[in-house]
Amino acid sequence: MSEKPYVPLPGCITRLALAAAVIVSLAGVAARAGEDSAQKIEEGKKLFHARCGYCHLVGGTGTIMLARRLGKDRSLLEERTDLNADYIKKITRVGINGMPPHNRIELPDSELDSIAIYLTRPASARTTDADAGKGGTP
Amino acid sequence: MKLVLPPRVNEKSFQKALDAFAGVVGKQWVLATDEDRDTFMDYYAAGDADQHVPSAAIGPQSVEEVQALVRIANEYKVPLWPISRGKNLGYGAAAPCMSGTVVLDLGRMNRILDVNERFGYCLIEPGVGFFDLFNYLQQDKIRLWMSIPANAWGSVVGNALERGYGYTPYGENTRNICGMEIVLPNGDLVRTGNGAMANSASWHLFKYGFGPSWDQLFCQSNFGICTKMGMWLMPEPEATLGLNIQLPNPDDVGWAVDELAPLRMRGVIEQSPSIGNSLRFVASRTQRSEWYTGDGALPDDVLMDILRKNNLGWWTINLRLYGYDEVNEAHARIVKEAFARHTKQEIEVVKWRCGDPIENSGAGVPATNALQIINWRGGRGGHLGFSPVLPASSEHVLRQFHSTKKRYEEIGVDYYGSFTLFERYTTNVNMMVYDRDDTALTARVRALFKVLVADAAKQGYSEYRTHLSYMDDVALTFDFNSHALLRLNETLKDALDPNGILAPGKQGIWPRALRTERA
Repeated sequence: MSEKPYVPLPGCITRLALAAAVIVSLAGVAARAGEDSAQKIEEGKKLFHARCGYCHLVGGTGTIMLARRLGKDRSLLEERTDLNADYIKKITRVGINGMPPHNRIELPDSELDSIAIYLTRPASARTTDADAGKGGTP
Repeated sequence: MKLVLPPRVNEKSFQKALDAFAGVVGKQWVLATDEDRDTFMDYYAAGDADQHVPSAAIGPQSVEEVQALVRIANEYKVPLWPISRGKNLGYGAAAPCMSGTVVLDLGRMNRILDVNERFGYCLIEPGVGFFDLFNYLQQDKIRLWMSIPANAWGSVVGNALERGYGYTPYGENTRNICGMEIVLPNGDLVRTGNGAMANSASWHLFKYGFGPSWDQLFCQSNFGICTKMGMWLMPEPEATLGLNIQLPNPDDVGWAVDELAPLRMRGVIEQSPSIGNSLRFVASRTQRSEWYTGDGALPDDVLMDILRKNNLGWWTINLRLYGYDEVNEAHARIVKEAFARHTKQEIEVVKWRCGDPIENSGAGVPATNALQIINWRGGRGGHLGFSPVLPASSEHVLRQFHSTKKRYEEIGVDYYGSFTLFERYTTNVNMMVYDRDDTALTARVRALFKVLVADAAKQGYSEYRTHLSYMDDVALTFDFNSHALLRLNETLKDALDPNGILAPGKQGIWPRALRTERA
């Protein structure tokens, strides 16, 4: 019967290398998560333009109504940083003022989730977005 | 909204039907929670949304699924209310006429199946919206134009089936229908016109087929479910020439109609110009409280003050000529001469030539901005439209205008009307705008609507389209020979739909088993 020889842990340099490897590995996970997240945000942006763009891009009726109610600086949903996902989802389903509710056939929950992810994206995922709300077609 | 069961169906049977529907489309596409039902209610209702409560909604994706759902509906006697995209705003939106009806939402059937530039038509499914078709034509640089209504959120097919209209020479969308595919109330599948020939080379070219022509029987009716529609599109013209004019006095609408109607009939003007009172413009840009806070109808002196401050006339006319540049110029001279016989008002001229930005073309670019008017009263806005059809002459137009405005004032609603000129008739859209939470105002709106239907009928004027709550009222105004047309419609209904499962009450047509539900 053979036994594995005892191999003592190498010195501190090796420990540092291991720690570094762990960090690199974690960073890889974070990078992948970042890519996933960026993809979801991009998906949400496309859906926002397709499903909400009828009214909520520059010059749209929703934008005009919001400007009247909340002021011009809060009228473009894409530029807002004060929205939260639950609020977005609720308002989309029940409607608000002139905006009718959206049902789960025209806008399934999965698509609404993506739109909410896009509208609540972190500051780091926001570009200067000079063309926010101007690009794309509904 | 809590579940309201359809007549003749108990809860157990209803649940079995829902399970069977889910077996066809998948559970995800059968919606039956309280919150789901709310999303299919008439959101803009003037206090009567609870008269039209859906019990559930189903979202099929293919014609085969629609056929299977219809067969199940027959088995359980569960009524279905087909919608294309459910944006029939002001007329009931996605809600059914009879409470308890299951909404059959065709929004997932949204394919553009064919666009033929040479022959100028498309073949589309009911879920295709005006934005979708517009973007498709633009992206592929297809030189065909659509006819787009003021609020373009809805379905191209749905708008044509409801006889909606836009503002190009192809304005009457129902006239552009050329061949449909229909699921009948028994689940059978039929194609109209030349589509009845399996290998037809001209399904979307020749409207009539052989023998009786059925396309219009499936418009504003409950005889079948349209799953495909052929529709003619307008070839892009070389140029357009817009003429916009303000008319200062209320009675100017009379001479304007007398001058423009013959030009429309002779083809000098090929599209349908709209003569709208200028409150339309004001209501889409401002709110009533900025001008007046009193109750009742907006007084004339306040309106005149608003118009003066906005440099507007009492009426605004926007008309546009389409075609070859030289012809447009010649026709513009004729139109200007007609105006010059009555007014020295300046005419704004807007010219577009092929290749210029489409926004200025008069092609119609889809938008939803017309919805701005519902903010006029503030709060949670809504609107309802009363739209009788009159002969295009000053005698009729002035009588109807004064009579309608007087009713608005008596009952206490702001007058907001327009006359859209077709070859021989004019459609007089009278809008009622309200805050849905102002119950006194919505009660007045409902009362006004009933009075207007009765007044118009006395003059021989019928509506071209109406809200769910008034379908029976309007159907009953067609009273020749003790409502012979209704008898014919219901004879046909009973023959095609013996179980009465398709859109009971639509346009006042009720199946035998549910006639006790008539309002």
